[in-house]
Amino acid sequence: MARLDINSVSKSFGAARPADALSLTVEPGEIVAVFGPSGSGKTVLLRMIAGMFEPDDGDIQVGGRSIVGAAPERRGIGMAFQNFALFPHMSARDNIASGLRAKAAGDVATRVAAISKLLKIEHVLGHTPRELSNGQKQRTALARALIGNPEVLLLDDPLRNVDAKLRYEMRLELPSLLRRGTAAVLYVTQDYREAMAIADRIAVLIGGRLVQVATPDEIYAQPASVAVARLFGDPTINLAEVVPFAEHGALCARVSGAMVGLGSADVDALERECWLGVRPEDLVVSSSPGEGAIPAKILAITPMHEKAVLLLRLADGTEWLAALPPEAPRGAADDAVFIGFAADAAMLFDRATGQKIGLSHRRQAA
Amino acid sequence: MSMVQLLQTKAPTAPAKPRPRVRLLPYLLSLPALLICIAILVPFVTAAVYSLQRYRLNLPYLRGFIGAGNYIDFLSDPAFWNTLRISITYTVLTVVLELLLGLAIALLLRRPTRFHNAVSIMLLLPLMTAPAIAALMWKLMTNPSFGILSYFVSLLGVSDFKWASDPSTALFTVVLVDVWVYTPFIMILLLAGLRSLPRQPFEAAALDGVPASFVFFRITLPMLAPYIITASLFRLLDSIQQFDIIYAMTQGGPGDRLMVFQVQAYLEFFQYTNVGRSAALLMILWLITNILSNIFIKNWLRLRERAHGHA
Amino acid sequence: MEHSSLAGRIFRGVALTLILIFFMFPIVWIFLMSFQTNEQILRIPPRILFEPTLANYTALISGQLHTAAGNLEISFMRNLFNSVVLSSAAVMLALVLGVPAAYAFARFKFRLGETIAFTLLSFRFAPPLLVLLPLSLYYQELGLNDTYFGIVWVYQLIALPLILWIVRGYFEDISPDIEHAYRLAGHSWREAFTRIAVPLAGPGIAAAGLLSFIFCWNNFVFALILASADKQPVTVGALAFVTASGIQYGQIAAAIVLSVTPTLLLALYAQRYLVEGLSLGAVKG
Repeated sequence: MARLDINSVSKSFGAARPADALSLTVEPGEIVAVFGPSGSGKTVLLRMIAGMFEPDDGDIQVGGRSIVGAAPERRGIGMAFQNFALFPHMSARDNIASGLRAKAAGDVATRVAAISKLLKIEHVLGHTPRELSNGQKQRTALARALIGNPEVLLLDDPLRNVDAKLRYEMRLELPSLLRRGTAAVLYVTQDYREAMAIADRIAVLIGGRLVQVATPDEIYAQPASVAVARLFGDPTINLAEVVPFAEHGALCARVSGAMVGLGSADVDALERECWLGVRPEDLVVSSSPGEGAIPAKILAITPMHEKAVLLLRLADGTEWLAALPPEAPRGAADDAVFIGFAADAAMLFDRATGQKIGLSHRRQAA
Repeated sequence: MSMVQLLQTKAPTAPAKPRPRVRLLPYLLSLPALLICIAILVPFVTAAVYSLQRYRLNLPYLRGFIGAGNYIDFLSDPAFWNTLRISITYTVLTVVLELLLGLAIALLLRRPTRFHNAVSIMLLLPLMTAPAIAALMWKLMTNPSFGILSYFVSLLGVSDFKWASDPSTALFTVVLVDVWVYTPFIMILLLAGLRSLPRQPFEAAALDGVPASFVFFRITLPMLAPYIITASLFRLLDSIQQFDIIYAMTQGGPGDRLMVFQVQAYLEFFQYTNVGRSAALLMILWLITNILSNIFIKNWLRLRERAHGHA
Repeated sequence: MEHSSLAGRIFRGVALTLILIFFMFPIVWIFLMSFQTNEQILRIPPRILFEPTLANYTALISGQLHTAAGNLEISFMRNLFNSVVLSSAAVMLALVLGVPAAYAFARFKFRLGETIAFTLLSFRFAPPLLVLLPLSLYYQELGLNDTYFGIVWVYQLIALPLILWIVRGYFEDISPDIEHAYRLAGHSWREAFTRIAVPLAGPGIAAAGLLSFIFCWNNFVFALILASADKQPVTVGALAFVTASGIQYGQIAAAIVLSVTPTLLLALYAQRYLVEGLSLGAVKG
C-alpha cells in the first residue's frame, strides 16, 4: 500500500515547459486519469515518474519515499505504453514474465497463467508480439505491467492504438482490473469519455499546468474554466458573451436580444464581462415562444442514433448546438424555433481569465 | 540563527531538491572509442609536424624545422605537379566513367525481378575482391606472352599493346581495373536509391504520356540526386587516394607515369627515406580530402536521416 | 519506364550481357587458370576446354613448389592464416569497442560522443598513409612493428567507423520505450543492454561484423607497411608471391582464387546488408 505524491514538479525542455509546478496525490487503489489535449504534458509527467527523465524541480514520492534520481528498476512502478513497447524477440509469455523473473518471485508459471486468464490471452502466450493482434498486444502489455503488483501503475493512453470496439470493451473491463490490487493508478488519456468511464478522479492538464482535479461528475458539471468546459462533452459546450445584471433579485443576462434567467443573483458575476456556457443537452427547443426563450433558426440537423444534434443560429449570428433525445420533436432545417434552458444549467466564466464564477445553486450531477 | 531554528525552518519544505544524476555511463561506454580516436590523432599531428621538418631517415643529424620549406619546394618541383596532375586525371576519369556506367546498369536493373537481383549480386563480386588482388588478376590477363586480353587485342590487329607497362596505356589500364572494381559500388547505391523512390510521380507521368527523356531528366535524376552525390563523393574520396591498384600493378611506373599522391608519398618514405617530404605530400592530400569529406558528410547525413526516419 | 518494345528488349538484353561479361569474365578466367598447368596457360590461342589439374593447389597447400630451376618454398598458406587471424581479431576487437560506443551515441545525446563519431568517420576518408607512416615509426619504438597485436589495432581504422555507424543506426531504430519497459520490470541498464538492445540490433551487428571482416581482409596498405613476411595477409602475400615465383602463373591464379574466395562467399551470404555497409549506414538495401 503506497501513495503516489507528486509535489510541485516542474520540467522544461528549452522554451517549452511541459510540467509547471504539478502537484497531485494518488491514493492506493485509486485511479486518477490525467486528461488533456495533445502536447499538454501528460506523457512528460508519466515519464518523470517512471524515471526516463528527472524533474528540474519538485519531488515525487511513492509511499513517502522520494524516487527522484532512483534507477527506473528500483521505483516499484509498472507501466503500459501507448505503443505497447513489447519485447519483439520474446513470446507473449516471456514478455509478461519478464517483470517477475527479476524479482525472483515464486511460481512464475502460475502467476503468468493467472494474469493471462484474467486478461483472456492464455491462448496466445506462445506467440511473438508480431503474431498478436493490436488488442492482444494491448492485453499482453497490461499483463506485463500488472503482474509484478507494482505500487504505482502508469498507463500511457493504453487504448489509443486499439480499434473502437475493443476500446469500448476495455473501458468496461479496465476499472475492475486496475482496482484488483492496491496500486495507485495514473491513467493518461486524450479521450474525455475514457477518463470519465475509468477514473475515480480526473486531473485536467493544460499547457503543463493542472487546471482542475476532481471527480468526473464534478468536472462535467462544474468545470473550473472555459477551457475545461470545452474539453468535456460532445458536442462541445455552447458559449455566449454576456454581462449579467440583477433584476427582481434574480441574475439575468441578455443572449441574442432575449433576456434569460440565470437563477438567484450572484454578486461575483454582476456587471462583469462573462462567458455564458450551456451544454447542448441542457437546451430545450420548442416551436412556440416562452419566457426567457431565445429565437433561433435551425440550420441543420444531424441525426445520431442516441440523439439528434441541431445546429442553430441565434438572431445575433451566434451558432449554438443542441443535443436532443431521439424521441423529442426536432423540427426541420430553416424552421424558426425558440430555445431555452433551466437557470441551473447555466455556467458563467470570467471572460478575461476564463475562470469559473461560482453560481451557488449549480446542480451537482450532470 | 541557531541550529534548531535552521532545522525547524527547513522541515516544512520537505521535497528535497533532486540530485542531478551524473551521467557517466555514456562517457564510460565510449571511452575505448575515444582512445582509438586519440591513437589516430597522435600520428596525424606527428605527420603535420614532420611536414614542417627537414627529416630524412638516412640523415638523422640534418633533422630540423624548416617551416613551409617542404611545401615551397613542391612549387618548383615538376615531380609534385606530375603527381597532382596524375591524381586528378585518375580521379576524374574513374569517377566519371564509374558514375555513367553505374547509373546505366542501375537503370537497367531497376525493376526488382529475380533475374535482375541475381545480376546485381553477381556484379558485387568485383567490389568484394581486394583491389590489390584485382590488380593482380588483370596483370595476369594483360600479360604480354599469354594474357587473354593481350590475345583478344591481337585478334583485333593490334600486335604490340603493352597495357600497364607502356607509358601511353598505363593510365588506361589502371583506370580499367578501377572501373572494374568500383563501378558496382555506384551501381548498388543508385539501385537502392532508384528502388526507394516514390512511385506516384512516375505513375502520374506515365498517365500523362510524358516522354521518357523528360521523365529521366526532370523526375528520375533530380530525385536520385542525393544518392548520386553521395556515391560520387564516396568514390571521389577513395579514388584520389588510390594506392592498392596502382601499387600492385606498376608501383607508380612506368617511370613516373602513375605517381599518384599516396604512391609517391610511400616511395618518398621508404625508397628515399624523406619523411618530411612524404608527410608534406600527404598533408596536401589530406587538405583536399578534408574539404571533400566535409561536403560528403553533410550529404551522407541527409541520406542517413532519410534511411532511419530521424536524425 | 517500361521498354516493352522488341527493340528495347533486345537492347537491354545485349547491354546486360556485355556488362555481365565485363564484370564476370576476369573472375571466371582466373578461376579456370588456377586449374591449368603452365603449358596449358601459355598455349596460344587459349582454350576453354582443358584437362584440369589440382597441382597448383597442392603446391600451395604443401608449401613446396617444384620447378625446373629447383624447389621453392611458398609461405602462401601462412598468409592465408595471417589474414584469418588479423581480420577476425580486428573485427572482434572492433565489436567489443564499437558496440557499446554505438549504443552510447544512439541513446545519449552528448557532445563528446558526436565528436568521436565524426572524427572516426572523417579519418575513414583521410589518406591512410598519413596516419600509417608516423605510426610505423612509433611502432618501431614501441616494439609493435610486425606484431599481430599492433596490426590488429591499426585495422580499427577500417572496422570501427563501420561498426560504429551501422550499429548506431540499428540502436536508434529500437524504440527507447522497449528498453524502459524492461528496466521498469526490474532490470538494470546492463541487462536491458544485453537482453534487449543487443539482441534486437543483432542482425545489424552481425552484418557490420561481416562487412568489416571483408574490408579488413581486403586491406593491403596497412600490412604492407607494418608487417614483414611472416605476418603478412594474402593481399600483400600474393603480390610478394608474384614477384618471387616469377612465371608460375598457375600457382599465382590459384593463390588469387584462395585469397578472394572467403570474402566472395561472405559477400554472397551478407549481400542483403552490403548496401548499408558500403554506404556506412546511409542507404538501406
